[in-house]
Amino acid sequence: MTADESELRELRASVREFLEAKSPEEAVRKLMESEPRFDPAVWSQAADQLRLPGLAIPEEYGGDGFGLVELGVVLEEMGRALFCAPFFATVLLAAQALLASGDRDACARFLPGIASGRTTATLAVAEDHGSWDPAMVSARAVPDGDGGWTVRGRKCFVIDGTTADLILVVARTVAGPTLFVVERDATGLAAEPMETLDATRAMARLTFDAVPATLVGAEGAGGRIMAKVLDIASVGLAAEQAGGARRCLETSADYARVRHQFGRPIGSFQAVKHKCADMLVQVELAEASSREAARLADEGSPDFPVAAAVAHACCSRAYMTAAMENIQVHGGIGFTWEHPAHLYFRRAKSSQLLFGGPAVYHERLLDRLGI
Amino acid sequence: MESDDMRDFATEARRFLDAHVAKAPDRTAVTWGEGDDSMAYFSSLPPEEEREFVQRAREWQRIRHENGFGWITGPVEYGGRGLTPVHDLLYDAIESEYDVADTGVLSVIGLGMIGPTILAHAQPHIRDRWLPAMYRGDAIACQLFSEPGAGSDLASVATRAVREDGGPSRSSEAESGGDWVLNGQKVWTSVAQHSQIGLALTRTNPDAPKHRGITAFLVPMDAPGVEVRPLRQMTGGADFNEVFLTDVRIPDDHRLGEVDGGWTVALTTLMNERATVGSEGVGPVGAALSPDHLSALMRATWTWDDRALRARLAELLVDVLATEHLNARALRKLRGGVAPGPEMSVSKLMYGQNLTRAAHFVSDVLGPRIIADTGQWGTYAWTELLLATPALRILGGTEEIMKNILAERVLGLPKEPVTAAAKEVRS
Ligand SMILES: Cc1cc2nc3c(=O)[nH]c(=O)nc-3n(C[C@H](O)[C@H](O)[C@H](O)COP(=O)(O)OP(=O)(O)OC[C@H]3O[C@@H](n4cnc5c(N)ncnc54)[C@H](O)[C@@H]3O)c2cc1C
Ligand SMILES: Cc1cc2nc3c(=O)[nH]c(=O)nc-3n(C[C@H](O)[C@H](O)[C@H](O)COP(=O)(O)OP(=O)(O)OC[C@H]3O[C@@H](n4cnc5c(N)ncnc54)[C@H](O)[C@@H]3O)c2cc1C
Repeated sequence: MTADESELRELRASVREFLEAKSPEEAVRKLMESEPRFDPAVWSQAADQLRLPGLAIPEEYGGDGFGLVELGVVLEEMGRALFCAPFFATVLLAAQALLASGDRDACARFLPGIASGRTTATLAVAEDHGSWDPAMVSARAVPDGDGGWTVRGRKCFVIDGTTADLILVVARTVAGPTLFVVERDATGLAAEPMETLDATRAMARLTFDAVPATLVGAEGAGGRIMAKVLDIASVGLAAEQAGGARRCLETSADYARVRHQFGRPIGSFQAVKHKCADMLVQVELAEASSREAARLADEGSPDFPVAAAVAHACCSRAYMTAAMENIQVHGGIGFTWEHPAHLYFRRAKSSQLLFGGPAVYHERLLDRLGI
Repeated sequence: MESDDMRDFATEARRFLDAHVAKAPDRTAVTWGEGDDSMAYFSSLPPEEEREFVQRAREWQRIRHENGFGWITGPVEYGGRGLTPVHDLLYDAIESEYDVADTGVLSVIGLGMIGPTILAHAQPHIRDRWLPAMYRGDAIACQLFSEPGAGSDLASVATRAVREDGGPSRSSEAESGGDWVLNGQKVWTSVAQHSQIGLALTRTNPDAPKHRGITAFLVPMDAPGVEVRPLRQMTGGADFNEVFLTDVRIPDDHRLGEVDGGWTVALTTLMNERATVGSEGVGPVGAALSPDHLSALMRATWTWDDRALRARLAELLVDVLATEHLNARALRKLRGGVAPGPEMSVSKLMYGQNLTRAAHFVSDVLGPRIIADTGQWGTYAWTELLLATPALRILGGTEEIMKNILAERVLGLPKEPVTAAAKEVRS
């Protein structure tokens, strides 16, 4: 299904209204310091009233069958509001990994729960070094002799790792990196929260000590699955980043219009004015690149992988720039704990480096272009 | 999402082009060492070749026009097709696949900016006289706006226009009056050396606030007292000129808009300028920004595995491709009947920045080969683009002015306090 422009506008308006009511700054600040790092009641409402978790899950698995374009609108709004919820890990990482695996049984078993918001999930790939490259995975999986598998190893930087009901995990078998699913209450699984630069996105270290697991997709298919998931997840992340960057720009422009120094609004000084114009340029490019990548994904275009790499790099830079300059435009007040500017700064930096940062995504773009 | 009407139009355009010209070689799919390696942004031809170049442009415009593609958005009574800007953009996109003469000399300023201004503001018989001629390729038009003392601050133009006979006795609102006499100097006037007419902004009321004392005239470039002197630009070529106006007599019917109402006329021109600049991207310039071209260059120079250069290439391509996405989305908005927002201004800014960065990136890849000509294909030729890029941050509104516009119009930031001096006309 695809929504037309006016439906997208409606979707945006209803998500924004919901988040303004349920995820104002006070709520974000409270959740940043609680466990779990989200409000289960609000999460249920997002699922029951707005059907957000199932938006882009195919109808045959209980979702509404929309695409990345619609998901992008929701993520822009979530990024704007710094919404604390298991949405990114569940919908962009875990659900996409299940879909990319092509494993119909696993999809039928897990996706309806995800679509309804009853199940939260995550994807554990990176280890101590932080790389999302499946070739770098050293966690191992061996057959348990009973048709199942046993996973051993450590995973790091696992988003919502202490709370997710389902953990999709990439571990190595004799056939290479392979995708498995592990349930929260499985024996031998330990999760320990990590302190994070961005407290609105929880991360954990997971230890797998002979944890029973189920194979998802083909043995050795982890590399192929992850390539696809990373493209989609980085476009989802790009949408969040574009939304956050737009918010920083708006905050700066609002402040620059009203804050007076030297008897003038600071926005009338060209040094400030041009800073805001530079932010606007970055934000326009960010929105264009993330929305265009989402469109290409939904059309199944062969240009999608390049567009995904462009969106990831462009939005990462745009958000970081906007978050930084937002503090600068605010002067001293922007440097305080009470002002929300630092929350965006933290989110911008952590998003930029989540999948490896510039060194990784620049090479990925060149690789996609065959350079 | 395209309508049947668009599809039919595209089919018709292709049929016309197939009948008249060959398909263009794909300049982005490079075979290193083959074909034309020119990277000229401004033409830098000897006079004889320059004349032929202009002749080919006129000729192709005439053929376009005879086949109904010379003025797609123009009113039917002046020989236009009466279609939408979207048809125009679609035609441009299709034509870029073909090997046609470069018509920039007559289309960018004349047809793109001056034509729409004449249509909106000139008297009927002036429109009859010049519009068909321009769109047939017979007349080229230039923009006589900038002066030595009026660049970014265009409204401070000082070229004087004084009404001759009976001036004082007539009301300045009269529909038609005595001749005007123009005196002053214009500068940076592109294509003036090839033009038959120019649109000049002049000062008619030095006592009024500066935006309210300007009048616009269509100046026949062969009128006595018009002198065009080529200005050599930093590329070595001479695309723009100084134009001296000495006692140039212009009939009142060549006035556009009201007496002292020339700023409104100028805004029509500038609006159309913003719509054209930044929509380029084919030809040598398109090649400069194409990933295939840049990677071929890195392979040919054995720099493809240089980590520092690769990182810079990636950064450059992120901007180039994101700008393409921005343009694509603006175009799609237009097709859906939605006016684009700030995309065009952002695109203009990025266009200048991307080409500038590309030229410097390539210079660093080429190293000594851009300091002195080794004769190697596709190397020293980049000096042409390198030396042209500074202009892209100036023409059609400097980078600084574009940023002021974005911040004030899009973000609603306050203007700088206006000093009394800024309201006056400088003498
Ligand atoms: C960590 C820290 C410690 C500090 N310690 C002290 C201290 O011990 N004692 C003390 O007295 N102060 C202290 N300060 C305050 C500091 O000096 C001010 O924050 C600073 O002078 C800026 O003033 P402001 O915060 O009011 O920002 P504003 O002046 O409101 O500036 C906001 C933005 O507008 C820009 N701007 C303002 N005017 C112009 C202009 N004319 N042209 C161009 N841009 C302009 C600024 O550059 C800034 O980007 C401290 C600040 C910090 C962050
Ligand atoms: C290749 C080329 C072709 C051209 N063709 C034509 C043509 O055909 N017809 C025509 O009429 N003109 C033409 N121009 C002129 C062009 O429009 C002007 O050069 C341009 O508007 C800038 O004016 P200026 O050169 O007088 O620079 P100035 O206005 O003197 O600017 C000098 C510097 O000051 C900055 N500046 C000025 N005002 C401000 C401000 N308010 N805030 C911040 N910074 C400011 C500018 O950004 C610039 O960096 C052409 C220019 C070039 C380079």
